[in-house]
Amino acid sequence: MRRLKRNRVGHLISKGSERVSEMTENNHVAVAEAPQSNQEQTEPIVRYRKVSKSFGDNQVLKEVDFDLYPGERVAVIGPSGSGKTTMARLLMTLEKPTSGTIEVDGRQLWHKEVKGKLVPADEKHLHEVRGDIGMVFQHFHLFPHMNILKNVSVAPIKVLGLSKEEAEERAKTMLDKVGMSDKLEAYPANLSGGQQQRVAIARALVMRPKVMLFDEPTSALDPELVGEVLDVIKEIAAEGEMAMMLITHEMSFARDVADRIVFFDEGRIIEQGRPEQIFTAPKTDRLQEFLKRFELNGSSS
Amino acid sequence: MWSWDFTFKILPQLLDTLWITISATIAAFAVAMIGGLILAFARRSTFRLLSWVTYAFIEFIRTTPPLVQLYVIFYVLPRYGLSLSPFTAGVIGLGIHYSTYLSEVYRAGIDSVPRGQWEAATALNFSPLQKWKTIILPQAIRPVVPVMGNYLIVMLKETPMLSAITLVELLGRAQIIGSNTFRYLEPITLVGLFFLVLSYSASRLVIRLEKRMNINHHGKMDAAA
Amino acid sequence: MFLRTSLYYQAFDGGVIPISVYAQIFPQLLEGAFVTIQLLILSAILGFLLSFLGGIGRLSRIDPIRWISGFFVEFLRGTSLLVQLFWLFYALPLLGIKLAPGLAGILALSLNYGAYGSEVVRGAIQSIPKGQTEAAIALNMTPRQQMWHVILPQAFRTMLPSFGNLFIELLKGTALVSLITIPDMTFEASAMRTNIEANTPEIFTLLLLMYFVIGYPLTLATRWLERRFSVGRL
Ligand SMILES: Nc1ncnc2c1ncn2[C@@H]1O[C@H](COP(=O)(O)OP(=O)(O)OP(=O)(O)O)[C@@H](O)[C@H]1O
Ligand SMILES: [Mg+2]
Repeated sequence: MRRLKRNRVGHLISKGSERVSEMTENNHVAVAEAPQSNQEQTEPIVRYRKVSKSFGDNQVLKEVDFDLYPGERVAVIGPSGSGKTTMARLLMTLEKPTSGTIEVDGRQLWHKEVKGKLVPADEKHLHEVRGDIGMVFQHFHLFPHMNILKNVSVAPIKVLGLSKEEAEERAKTMLDKVGMSDKLEAYPANLSGGQQQRVAIARALVMRPKVMLFDEPTSALDPELVGEVLDVIKEIAAEGEMAMMLITHEMSFARDVADRIVFFDEGRIIEQGRPEQIFTAPKTDRLQEFLKRFELNGSSS
Repeated sequence: MWSWDFTFKILPQLLDTLWITISATIAAFAVAMIGGLILAFARRSTFRLLSWVTYAFIEFIRTTPPLVQLYVIFYVLPRYGLSLSPFTAGVIGLGIHYSTYLSEVYRAGIDSVPRGQWEAATALNFSPLQKWKTIILPQAIRPVVPVMGNYLIVMLKETPMLSAITLVELLGRAQIIGSNTFRYLEPITLVGLFFLVLSYSASRLVIRLEKRMNINHHGKMDAAA
Repeated sequence: MFLRTSLYYQAFDGGVIPISVYAQIFPQLLEGAFVTIQLLILSAILGFLLSFLGGIGRLSRIDPIRWISGFFVEFLRGTSLLVQLFWLFYALPLLGIKLAPGLAGILALSLNYGAYGSEVVRGAIQSIPKGQTEAAIALNMTPRQQMWHVILPQAFRTMLPSFGNLFIELLKGTALVSLITIPDMTFEASAMRTNIEANTPEIFTLLLLMYFVIGYPLTLATRWLERRFSVGRL
């Protein structure tokens, strides 16, 4: 596992800013100020290039370029309908890009190379590349017909081919990590939303993905249950093993956890940078507008 | 094997009986609609005995084969002085059988009318009859119209059974042609195709109807993004 | 025992006690009942398998599979069961394929109800929220694993009550095979009617009752399944 030890953040943002400056025709684009320290060059684990996605006439993503580095934690914020979820779903192969390419760890995701030419990927190719990605959904999507232990161990058994004992061992370790090891026999219907989401996190973690996607993991939860889930995510983030893309409306959480904040609006990345900069000195009007809505909640203090 | 000459020769004869199939379907459906409504009300009756007897009747009719019920109407009733023509016996038999299904459909429709509507009708001091006629039934029947349409199609496909009580509808005619000529392939295949065309066009209609009602009724589209 | 007593009464009284009539009819209907039950079970098993074949086929991502299963299902649903029975019994031999009546009966019943079952399977699969498939994809399950481990186990619960209802419809449908000379309960009753016409009311009363006795437990079982599985998931 390649890991960024020193100056991870600064280096990443400089990468981001090079790209951002390419699209300066898009009036509002801001460049993050960042220390330029390019000595230690690391390849991104995920690379979006000119990725567009339309649903019918509705163009949801507009030639998005985006890099995610190993171990990096990026929070994606932006107004409703701006295309954040779609970004993540393209990487999870739940949705197919209309144009553009996505690379995962040096391999094309939606295309495969046949005699030097890129052709659309088939299920087999997706299966190979997808193993590096994991996802936690807004609505958990636990399997209601399986108990908790089975929910977390089914994929290691069936997909990774582990033995039942080994898979359950792994599953229990993960469930312990999310504080759910006392409910192994329970069924999802009997758990609170917060508990379900913690199990869903364990279910994704147990596959040991290199990149983990969180799509608003707490926005379907009752307010009093949000904290327990955020704590679990923070803990995982602190381990720094996986790259994480956190789509969230929890600004204070984004600021605490993320190395980089990406602000999305109308299918484009409008501004990105370190949390301090994004929250204290937003450059674009749109981000300022957007952040104003959260000030009432006291999230910037 | 397949003779087109023969096919075209028997086609008019079969087309002649097509209207018997269609009119039997429609008449039986009418019986089922009215019977179903009566059963639905009887089932709701506060008079316990009536409600219970209706329940038992519905359960019994639904669990036993319509073919046997037709035999009872056609062969047993005459012994008690009630002789019916094959058409009438068939229409009544199928109609009663499916009235038990339609009573369930009505019930579902009535149950789907919100409580507030009943209360509003009471608050406006409607008589019970007015309440049903002007407030409840119109709202109860609208959403179940497509389901009723589906039962119409089901009943259409049950009418060949009436040939068993000597009604010469499509299948009966095909059988007669077959036994006269020893050629069954063409007539029975044609009958199958007739049913395919009839039920397919009827189901298109029902789907159209359903769409129209959905458009008029739409308000919530659940999309969890 | 009950039969013997009634026969005894018959001998005593000269055969006017109605119960003795039933004693005459019942054994023959019972013979037919075995045929009916055999038909029911065999067609149910075959129809059940066909339901999954058709239902999953109609949801296949491979176009030809989807078209072919769609065509068969719509064709079988659109033409009437009795017409299909007659076609297999009267028309197919003229194409050089002669099936035993029993086989024609089972085939028609299982194809017809299998087609309706396909719609049950398809509907149940489609009723599983999309998030379930997406979660399975996110865990990198293959399409087959998604179907087998995630979708079908959940869909199966939804299907059960509908299958119960279809089972009862199938029982009623078996009566039609009497029209292609299969000696089921209804066939036996019709045969007796022509022999001892005077007892027509008793014959059909007992016949209806026997169908009810076979069918009502199925109805009750279906209700139970409905309560057990249709309400909340789990
Ligand atoms: N499957 C789909 N079919 C059609 N339109 C879709 C589909 N999925 C998303 N969209 C549209 O794409 C746009 C972006 O949706 P997306 O879910 O990516 O936004 P989002 O930024 O995640 O918003 P939110 O904060 O509300 O979750 C929206 O206008 C949405 O209506
Ligand atoms: Mg979203």
